[in-house]
Amino acid sequence: MLDVILQAGASVLLDPLTLGLMGIGTLAGLLAGAIPGFTIAMGVILTLPFTFGMSPIQGLATMMGVFVGGLSGGLMSGMLTGIPGTPSSVATTFDGFPMVRSGKPGLALGLGLWSSFFGGMISAIILVALAPQLAFLGLEFGPWDYFALIVFALTITVSLSGDNMIKGLIAGCLGLFAACVGEDEINGVARFAFGSDHIRQGFAFLPVLIGLFAFSQLLSDVEDNVKAKSPLMAKTADPVRVEHRKAIALVIKNWINLCRSSFIGIFTGILPAAGGSISNILAYDQAKKAAKNRDEFGKGAVDGIIAPESANNATAGGALIMMMALGIPGDIVTAVMLGALMIHNIIPGPSFIQDEPLLAYGVFIAFFAAHFFMVGLQAFSLRLFLLVTRIPMYVLASVILAYCAIGVFALHNITFDIWVMFGFGVIGYFMRKLGFPLAPMILGVVLGKLAELNIARAIGTSDDYFLFITRPWSLFFILMAIVSVIFPFYQNANKDSLFSKLYVPICMMVLSLPLFLMGSPVRMMIAAILLLSGGYFVYKRTTRLQST
Amino acid sequence: MTNNKSDIIIAVFLLCFCGIMINDASNIRDLGFEGMKADAWPRVVLWMLAVMSSVMLGKSYIQFKTDGHKDNNIFKVNFLKFKNALICFGMFIFFLSTLDYLGMLLGGIVFVFGLLTFLGGFSINLIIKHLMISILSIGFMWMVFTFGLRVMLPEGEILRVW
Repeated sequence: MLDVILQAGASVLLDPLTLGLMGIGTLAGLLAGAIPGFTIAMGVILTLPFTFGMSPIQGLATMMGVFVGGLSGGLMSGMLTGIPGTPSSVATTFDGFPMVRSGKPGLALGLGLWSSFFGGMISAIILVALAPQLAFLGLEFGPWDYFALIVFALTITVSLSGDNMIKGLIAGCLGLFAACVGEDEINGVARFAFGSDHIRQGFAFLPVLIGLFAFSQLLSDVEDNVKAKSPLMAKTADPVRVEHRKAIALVIKNWINLCRSSFIGIFTGILPAAGGSISNILAYDQAKKAAKNRDEFGKGAVDGIIAPESANNATAGGALIMMMALGIPGDIVTAVMLGALMIHNIIPGPSFIQDEPLLAYGVFIAFFAAHFFMVGLQAFSLRLFLLVTRIPMYVLASVILAYCAIGVFALHNITFDIWVMFGFGVIGYFMRKLGFPLAPMILGVVLGKLAELNIARAIGTSDDYFLFITRPWSLFFILMAIVSVIFPFYQNANKDSLFSKLYVPICMMVLSLPLFLMGSPVRMMIAAILLLSGGYFVYKRTTRLQST
Repeated sequence: MTNNKSDIIIAVFLLCFCGIMINDASNIRDLGFEGMKADAWPRVVLWMLAVMSSVMLGKSYIQFKTDGHKDNNIFKVNFLKFKNALICFGMFIFFLSTLDYLGMLLGGIVFVFGLLTFLGGFSINLIIKHLMISILSIGFMWMVFTFGLRVMLPEGEILRVW
C-alpha cells in the first residue's frame, strides 16, 4: 500500500508539469469562484477540454485544482464586496463582509483562507481513510442495489434542487431520456436516431454538459442589456494584505467549530446532490447555535467565518468519497469529474481504487496538494480578480462561447458535437427561464446509462422483481428515495403539525429495517439504536401533542 | 417568465414530445435475445415523463383558472426580453453553418466580433476594441489547441484555397 501511495505521490508531486497544471487550475478556480455569475461547476466544465491531451492523472489534478480553488475563490468577492462569488460562500458574507467593513479585511480574508485550508485537510484525511472502506462496502452491491442507489441519487437531487418537485422530476426524466438516445449499451441497437448516423452514436457527455450548464448560463448572464455592458462588479475593492499568523492562531483556537463544520461539510458532500451551497449555511447555523456570543453573529464574528469556509471545502472531500468509492457523483462538479474520467476510459466504482490504485491515490494526493496551491496563490489571484472584475460581462461571455465551441470540437473532432452543445444550450437556457432545475437533468444524463445497464443486469440475472425490495441495500436505498421525495413536504409543513413532529423519528424506524436484514452485528446494532431512538421520539412527541 | 401560462404550454409540448418518442420507440429493433429489450428502459422513462407532464398540466391549468387572469392569451410572449439570447442563437447558427468555409480561426473571429458588436454597440471605438479582442482571444485559443494540444481544428475552404 505504502509503495502505491509513494508512487502516486511521485506522479503528482515530483512531475513539474503536473504541478504546474495544478497551479494553473487552482488559479483558474480561484478566479471562477470569485466572479459572481460564474460557478465552480462552470470552471471545471470549461477546464475539461484542455485535459483531453493530458494523461488521466494530469487532467484530474488540474481539475482538482479548479475544484479546490473555486471553493475558496468565492470568499474573496463575498468578503470584499458583499456579493458571494459562488453559492457555497453565501454564509461567509454574513460575517466576512461586516468584518471587512469594520477595518479588518486582512484578518477576514486570512480566516476564510485558513478555514478553507484546514477544512479541506480534514476532509482529505477522511477521504483517504473512508473511500477505500466505502468501496469495500460497495463490493456487496448487486445490480439491484446499484439501480436503487441511482434512483435515490436522482430523487434526492430533485428534492434538494428547488421548490417545484414536478419540474425537478421532469428535468431528471429528460436527462435519463437524453442518455437513452443512440445505440444501447447492451444490444447495440439504435434508438431515436431518426436516420442520422451522428445521433446513432448518441450524445457525447461533454457537449451536453457544456450546453446545459455553461452555454445556458452565459446566455442568462448577457440577457439584461445594462448588466451585460457594465463591469462584472459595480463595487470594487483594494488589494489587501492577508494576516496569516493571526488568522491561523484564531482558526486553531476555535478548533471545535472547525472540526464540527468540517464534518458537516463531509457528510453533506457524501449525500448525492447536496453540495457546498447547503453545507456552508448548515455549518453557519450550527456554529451560531453552539456559540456563547450569538449576538456577535452577523457583525463580524470569527466563528461565523470559520464555519462556512471550512464546511464548503470539506464538502469537496465528501463528494469525492462517493465518486471514488461508488461511482455516484455527489454534486454537479463531481458529475463533471466522473465525465472526465469516462473520457479517459476510466469508470469509477467499488473496484476502482483496487483496479487503479495509482490513479485513485493520485487523485487523493492532488486534493491534498491543491489546498497548498490555494493558500499560496490567493494573494496573486486577488490582484487578478480585481483586474477581471473591470471587464464587462458581454466581452467575457462572447469569448467563452467561442471557447466552448473549440473545446467541444476537440473531443471527437466533429462539428456535430458543437451542434449538440448548441441544442442543449438552448434547452438549458429555456429550462432556466421556465424554472426547471438543471442539476437533476445533468445527473440524469450522467447516471442514465448506468441505471439502464444495472436494471438490465438485474433482470437478466433473475426475473424475480421482488429482489429490489428483498435485498437489504436495495431496500435501504429505495426507502431513502421515498424519504427524500417526502422531504420537501416536511420542509414546508407547519412545525407544530403531527407530520412535522413524526417525520424524522418514523424515517429512523423505517430505515432500521434494511439494516436489520443485513445481518452483520455492527449494522444490527445501528438498526437497534435507530429503532429504539425513533420509537422514543415518536412516544415522547405524541404524548406531548396529546397533552397540549 | 415562469407562470401558469408558460407551464401549460411546456406541459403540452412535453406531452407531444412523449407521444412522438413513444411512437418512435416501437421502431426500435428487437434482436430476440433474452433479458431486457432495447426499447424497455426508454419507454419507462418516457411514460414517467408523460405522467409528470400531465400532473404539471393539470396543476397549472387549475391554478390558471382559479387565479382569474385578465389576459387569457397564453401565447403572448415578450420577445424583446430575449433579444440578446436570440442574437447569441443567431450568431452561433451562422458560425456553425459557415464553419466549413471559414474554419475555426476565421469563423471564431467573425463570431466573437459579431457577437461583441451586436451586444456591446456599434461606435467606432468599440468596433476597434471588439476587433482586437476577437483576433487576440481566438488567435490565442487557436494556437493553444493547434500547437499545444495538437487538435486539428477545421481549416475552412478559404484558408485551404489560400
